Amino acid sequence: MANTTTKDDVLLDCRKITKSYNGPIVLDQVDFSVRRGEVHALVGENGAGKSTLIKIVTGVASRNSGEMTFNGKELPFDLSRKQAQALGIACIYQELSLIPGMTVAQNIFLGKEPLRKGLRFIDRKMMNSMAQELITKYQFPLNPTDLIDDISIAQRQLVEILKALSDQAHMMIMDEPTSSLTKTEVEMLFRIIHTLKEEGISVVYISHRMEEVYALSDRVTVLRDGKLVSVLDKEQISPAEIIRLMIGHKLEENAVHHKLGKVEGKVVLSVQNLTSVGKFQNVCFELHEGEILGIGGLVGSGRTELVRALYGIDPVDEGTITYLDKPYVPSVPNAIKSGIGFIPEERRLQGILATQSIIKNIGITNLDKVAPRAIVSNKAEKEYADRGIKLLNVRPPVPEHLVGNLSGGNQQKVVLAKWLVRDLKLIFIDEPTVGIDIGAKEEIYDHIRKLASEGVSVILVSSDLPELTRLSHRVIVLRRGRIFTQFSDCVLTSEKILRAASGILEEQTENRVGA
Amino acid sequence: MSSHALRRIILVGLMIVIALILTAINPVFLTVGNLNKMFQEAAQIGIVAIGFTLVMITAGIDMSIGGIIALTAMVAVNFISFTKIPVILFVPVTLLVGALAGYFNGLFITRYKLPAFIVTLATKGILAGLALVVAVKDTQGFVQNVYIQDAVYLWFGGASFGGVFRTTIAFLLLGAGTQYFLKNTKTGTNIYASGANPVAANLTGINVDRTTLGVYVFAGMCASVAAIFISSRMMTAMPELGLGTEMDVIASVVIGGTSFSGGSGDIWGTMLGSVFLALIKNGILKLGMSPWIQPIVIGGIIVVTVIIDVWQKKIAESIATRAKLRRLDAAACEDAA
Repeated sequence: MANTTTKDDVLLDCRKITKSYNGPIVLDQVDFSVRRGEVHALVGENGAGKSTLIKIVTGVASRNSGEMTFNGKELPFDLSRKQAQALGIACIYQELSLIPGMTVAQNIFLGKEPLRKGLRFIDRKMMNSMAQELITKYQFPLNPTDLIDDISIAQRQLVEILKALSDQAHMMIMDEPTSSLTKTEVEMLFRIIHTLKEEGISVVYISHRMEEVYALSDRVTVLRDGKLVSVLDKEQISPAEIIRLMIGHKLEENAVHHKLGKVEGKVVLSVQNLTSVGKFQNVCFELHEGEILGIGGLVGSGRTELVRALYGIDPVDEGTITYLDKPYVPSVPNAIKSGIGFIPEERRLQGILATQSIIKNIGITNLDKVAPRAIVSNKAEKEYADRGIKLLNVRPPVPEHLVGNLSGGNQQKVVLAKWLVRDLKLIFIDEPTVGIDIGAKEEIYDHIRKLASEGVSVILVSSDLPELTRLSHRVIVLRRGRIFTQFSDCVLTSEKILRAASGILEEQTENRVGA
Repeated sequence: MSSHALRRIILVGLMIVIALILTAINPVFLTVGNLNKMFQEAAQIGIVAIGFTLVMITAGIDMSIGGIIALTAMVAVNFISFTKIPVILFVPVTLLVGALAGYFNGLFITRYKLPAFIVTLATKGILAGLALVVAVKDTQGFVQNVYIQDAVYLWFGGASFGGVFRTTIAFLLLGAGTQYFLKNTKTGTNIYASGANPVAANLTGINVDRTTLGVYVFAGMCASVAAIFISSRMMTAMPELGLGTEMDVIASVVIGGTSFSGGSGDIWGTMLGSVFLALIKNGILKLGMSPWIQPIVIGGIIVVTVIIDVWQKKIAESIATRAKLRRLDAAACEDAA
C-alpha cells in the first residue's frame, strides 16, 4: 500500500452529500471528513443540517447524491443502521437510547448477547463478566448488574459509550452529550473522550456550547443553511470565530461578565417561608415591578419545583405568598385571571400542542378572551394569533401552521406569544432557550428584556449561566431546596453562580441568606 | 425490582388469606375436587393470558382474543361434524386460526402503524362474525349447538392423575416454557426492549416490527390452544364461546404486575394473577353469591390494581428523587474539594 499518510489518516470522507426531504434541500453538496483519532466538532444553528448529516452517516437516513467512504470502504446509498454499526460507526444520542428495566450489562450487549452452546440461550454470567471487563478497562463508575433506572444520567451516557465500544467502534458520534450533565460529570466525559482519542477512536462532537467545542476539538466543521461554511484547524478555533461563521454576521462578544442592574419599585410578589416537603424549604424573596429575578442552581435543586408551586401546579405545604399586596393562594386558574403567566421547562411536552395550529396554541391560553361565552370566536382567535406572530416575529408568519412543524426557536416564540398577547404582570419562565439556536436565543432575550422594561416582573429559571447573568437584575441560587445565596448589585459571572450552586461561598459574596 | 417482589409476596399472602376465609365459611372449598376445578378455570384463562402478557410487554394490546377463541372452536366443531379427519391432524390446523389472526393483527399494527387497540377490536368483530358464518347450522339455518363426542378430542379437557385437569398441566408447562424463553433468549430480550423503548431498540438493530408481529402470532395461538381445551371441557361449542374473555385475561395480566406502558412484567405474575382471579370467582360461588356479580368484582379488581400500580410508581419516583438529591450533594461536595 503506497498510500500517502494524509490519505491514510482519513477515516470518514463524505463528498458532495446532498439531501432533500420532498422539496426543500437540507444538505447541499456538503463535504465532511473525519481523521482517525481526532475530536471533530460539528457545529451550526438548528436547521443547519447537522442532524441530517449524522443521520446519513449512521444509516438512519439515506442521501440523494454524493459519495461516502469509511475506513477505505465505499458506503452504499442504502446504508442501513445495522451495516453502519457493523463498520464501526457508533452514535450516542441526545435522547438516550437505553432500555429501562434492564441492567447495565443487558444494555451494553443488547442485540448481541453472548449465547450458550447448544440451545442458544443467553449466557448471563458471561455477559456480566464481559461487561465488567469493559468497565474495568475504562475505569467507569458502573456495576454490570445495576438497573438503568437506578443510575444517573451521566452513568447512562457511559453505558452508551460502552455499548458503542463493545461494537468495536472506530468513530463515535456524540450529539449534545453534556446537555444534562453536572460540571463534574462533564469533566469526566471530557477525560473519557481523551481516552478514546488515545485509543485511535475518532469522536464527532455536536454541541451548542462553544466553550466545549473550543476546549475539546482538533477540528471544527461549520454548517450553515445546509451548506459547508468552513473547516477550522485547532489553531484557528475560537468561540467568537465559530459563532461568526455559524450565523454569518458578527454578534457582540458574548459577555461573560455582567453588571447586575438594580430595580427598585413596587413589590409585586412577596414569598415568605415557602416550603414543599422534599422539594424546597423556607424560600423567602421579594420581586419588584419590572424586575428579572434569575433563579440558578443545579438540576434537582428545587428551581423548577419552586416556580411550578408558585404558579399553582404543585401544592405547597407551608408559607405565605403576597401578590399585589394581597394574600395569594396559587392555583392555575387564579394565576391566569390575575395576570400571571408560565413558560414550562419542557417545550414539547408541556409548552405546545404540536399537532395544532399557531391559532389554536395561542387561543387555548386566552380562552377567556376568545371565547367569553364558552363559544370560541374564530375571528378573535385569529386576531390574537396574528398579534402574537407579529409581536414575536414567528417564522413562518402563517397562523394556520402546525406548531410541531416549526423550529425549536419558533415553537418557543409561540409559547411566549401565548402569554404576551395578554395583560401580564408576572411571568415565570423556565429554561427558555434549551436546544434553540443562537439567533433565536438572542431574539427571545430581547423579548424578555422588553417585557421587563414594560413593567412586567419576570422569574427566570435557567441552567444556562451566561443567560442568567446577562438577563437578570438579581439572581437567587438554590441549593438542596434552600436559597443558598443571592447576588444583587454586583458584577456577576457564571463562575460565581456555579460555585454557589455547588455550595461554595466566596469571601466577598454578598447578602448571604441564612439557611 | 424489590417492590415487585414485595407485591408478589403480598398477592400470594392475600390468596392464602382468602382461601382460609373461604374454607372457614364453606369447607367444600378445600376439597381436591374444588381445587382442581378452580385451577382448571385459572388455566383456561391463564393460557390466553400468557400470550397476552407478551403483547402487553411490547406495549400492545389484543382485544381480538375472544374472537379467536370463538372461530377456533367453530373450525374444530366443523372438522368433528363433517369430516373424518383424526383429531391429531386437525388440531394443528385449528391452531393456525389463531396464528393467522395474530399475523394479520401484527401486520396491520407494524406495517401500517395502526393503533393496536383499534386493529384488534376490528379483527375481533371480523372473527366473531366469521365464527357465526362457519357455525354448524340446522336445516332452517339456525345455529346448532354441537355436542362433541370424539373421545380423542375430549381427552384434552379431561383429568389425569389425581384429578388434575390436562388443561392445568398444559398451562403450567406453557407458562414455565414461556417464562424461560422470555428471560433467557435473544427474542425474549428483544420483546422487553421493543416495549420499553422501541426507538432505542430499532437503533440497536433489533427488528421491533418483526418482534411485535411474532408476539401477536404467539398470542393468537395461545387463544386457539385455550379454545381447544375450553370446548373439549364443555363438550360443546357455540359461536359466542370466549367472547368477553379479554376482561378476565386483562385482569389476570394486570394483577400479575405487567404494566400497560410496556417493557415490564413476566409470566409468573400472570400465572399468579389468573389463579387469583379463579379464586375470587370460585369464592363468589362458594359463598353462595350470585354469579352475575363476577364481572362487577373483576372490573373493580382491575381498577384497584391499576391504582396500586400508580401508587407504586409514585413511591418509586420519590425514592429516585431522594437518591438524585443525595447524588447531587455528593457531586457538590466533590466540586468543593
